[in-house]
Amino acid sequence: MPKYTSMAYGSWEEMIFGTAKHPVSIGFGPVELGKKHVHPQIVPHPRPGSEATKEKILKEYQRMTEDALSHCAALGFPSIVIEFEHIYQMTSQPEWAAAIFAQAKAQMKGYYEKYGLKSALISTVADLRKPDMVNMRKCQEIDWMLATFDSTAANGADVLSIETMGGKEVFDYAIQRNDMKGIIFGIGVLSSIDMAWLWPQIVTIAKKHGITPGGDTDCARGNTAMFMAGGYTATDVPHTVAALARGCSAARSLVAYESGATGPTKDCAYEDPIIKAITGVPITMEGVASACAHAELQSNLVAAVVDLWSNEAVEYHDMFGGSSVEVFTEILGYNVAQMNAAIELGYAKELQAINVASDKYRDVHGFMLSPDNSYEIGKAIVANVDSYYLRAKAAVLKTAELISADKKMLLSDFEKDALAKARADVEALPDNEGDFIDMCLSEYSKVPGFDPTSYGF
Amino acid sequence: MIKTVNDLTDFDPIFIRYDIKIAPKKRAASDVSTDPALQAIAKGVVEGDEDMVAEASKAAIASKGPQTVIDTLILGMAEVSKLWDDGVYYLPQVILSSDALMVGLNMAEEALGSAVVKKGTVVMHCAHGDIHDIGKNVAAALIRANGYKVIDLGSDVPEETVVKAAKDNKADLVTGTALMTTTMSAFHRVAEGLTKEGINIPVVASGGAVSEEWVTSWDRGVYATFAKQGPEMAGDAASGMSWEDMRAKWNLVL
Repeated sequence: MPKYTSMAYGSWEEMIFGTAKHPVSIGFGPVELGKKHVHPQIVPHPRPGSEATKEKILKEYQRMTEDALSHCAALGFPSIVIEFEHIYQMTSQPEWAAAIFAQAKAQMKGYYEKYGLKSALISTVADLRKPDMVNMRKCQEIDWMLATFDSTAANGADVLSIETMGGKEVFDYAIQRNDMKGIIFGIGVLSSIDMAWLWPQIVTIAKKHGITPGGDTDCARGNTAMFMAGGYTATDVPHTVAALARGCSAARSLVAYESGATGPTKDCAYEDPIIKAITGVPITMEGVASACAHAELQSNLVAAVVDLWSNEAVEYHDMFGGSSVEVFTEILGYNVAQMNAAIELGYAKELQAINVASDKYRDVHGFMLSPDNSYEIGKAIVANVDSYYLRAKAAVLKTAELISADKKMLLSDFEKDALAKARADVEALPDNEGDFIDMCLSEYSKVPGFDPTSYGF
Repeated sequence: MIKTVNDLTDFDPIFIRYDIKIAPKKRAASDVSTDPALQAIAKGVVEGDEDMVAEASKAAIASKGPQTVIDTLILGMAEVSKLWDDGVYYLPQVILSSDALMVGLNMAEEALGSAVVKKGTVVMHCAHGDIHDIGKNVAAALIRANGYKVIDLGSDVPEETVVKAAKDNKADLVTGTALMTTTMSAFHRVAEGLTKEGINIPVVASGGAVSEEWVTSWDRGVYATFAKQGPEMAGDAASGMSWEDMRAKWNLVL
């Protein structure tokens, strides 16, 4: 499979929210991503108990979809993308998922015909393969997943996406131990290999139905590290180690686009600014409106180069302002209205500068995801095309170098020590992938359930 | 030319780096024994060095006896907990210490000819249909390192398996974790299964999408916010505290 060897943009300054080198059109309207406009994306989640029967879950999704669409009409929003991140019962029962998607698509069609409201529907299939419990390539779960990609593509999905789980068994072991070797092996090697195996199949299904293969995210690993690192007062995972893991995430998530995915990328892939710098695909990001799902230290900055602005996930329930889906559709709609007003007035670069200034030095995660640093990390990745391992290692070392070199990026003594140790550990790793993999296959045989045959070893 | 972040030198009006402002002072670990042979074991635990613990434990088992080694391992782990509480240590250092502790403990138990009497038994699982288990794994390591027997059932565990494990192992506590709103429903069914079997123990539930409001809406449910709370909650249950009293202690029910 060919790897990216150059950057999509000549410099980071060319990157701006709302515009992508390779725009994508999806759904009713169509919704044009990356063509000088940022669109909102709402991700609703059903309440516990609604999964009890097909009838109940259909009703829940009907109401959530209606709330999103009607609120857009009420407030004058030009477009809306709705993402359904599958619950277990959808991916494991392709006929449930098909019914849910067909129902939502009919609702969206109705609003398009009545109001001209542009809309698109994303099917994010749940990766039910737990690497330490099943063989990733031969299990009931992969059969369910492929069947559900197909059933939702045939019943209204405009985009197919996923959050793949490869390498999580080794990553989970490693992140609990500040083990950079295991982090690179789990994310940079195992997860990349798993994606290279799965993504061509997803692209084939999307092409069969004439829809868009969207993207993947390192949520299961990169976001685990970031959320465990937490805020300023947490003491679970060093923030610097989480940032280095994110460098790996970019090298890994690139595999989707090398396999034929075109974007929109997956919203929780915080590595997406780096992906955009390399590929030029339109990216989805979640920032301040994802506070309903989790806290983060770069909520404004991640809007700097966004094309589709998401809320991560909101559980359906009542709030003072209406249902949670109505409230978060409203927040997203006004967020992008501000961005689009900036674009129309010629103030896009000013707004980007404001968002970057808000968070670049708040924490190392925002620092590495600022457009300038994303671009530099991207360059390190495309300069190392020999193997998944080498480009992941290069991304980690470049991230460490950037953090260390910028005097404004303050670090506590603990974080300085953690970064120095992590960097030294990575610099000591082998120079070629074969040696690294041999070393890791031996060392991580101690990780319960790790099965090298899941990755073709 | 527009102004950018590069033109800023003072960020306090935008954000305050409390992590820098109130960063804990580095401090060395305190010794737990004046006996060099035993302190070497504790040092190995504090530094998360499995080889050091193995070597020192082997020598001390022969010279001091396995029970003394076990007592020292526990004192070493207590110092690790203090370092974590003080903000000097982060979770990975605690996990590495826990790994090292288990190396010494296994050696001592083998020499002793029996397992150390545990403070209690905790059955842990990730909900049926849910495979997000890192929080459960962290909590299990902490609970185990604090002297409890952990029956880790893994991920995607059917409710009846949890109930059976609680019954077979005479558990003091069942815990469940979930990331998805629509998988956490299983915890309620676990609690009902325990009631049907006449097993009167708490069910502690936690995880990304799990809320205190939901967990405390059904009998036996006690909500946990952090994995770090695990050892104390296990202690509460093992001491015979009822689920109602645990809920009153740990949760706010309006």
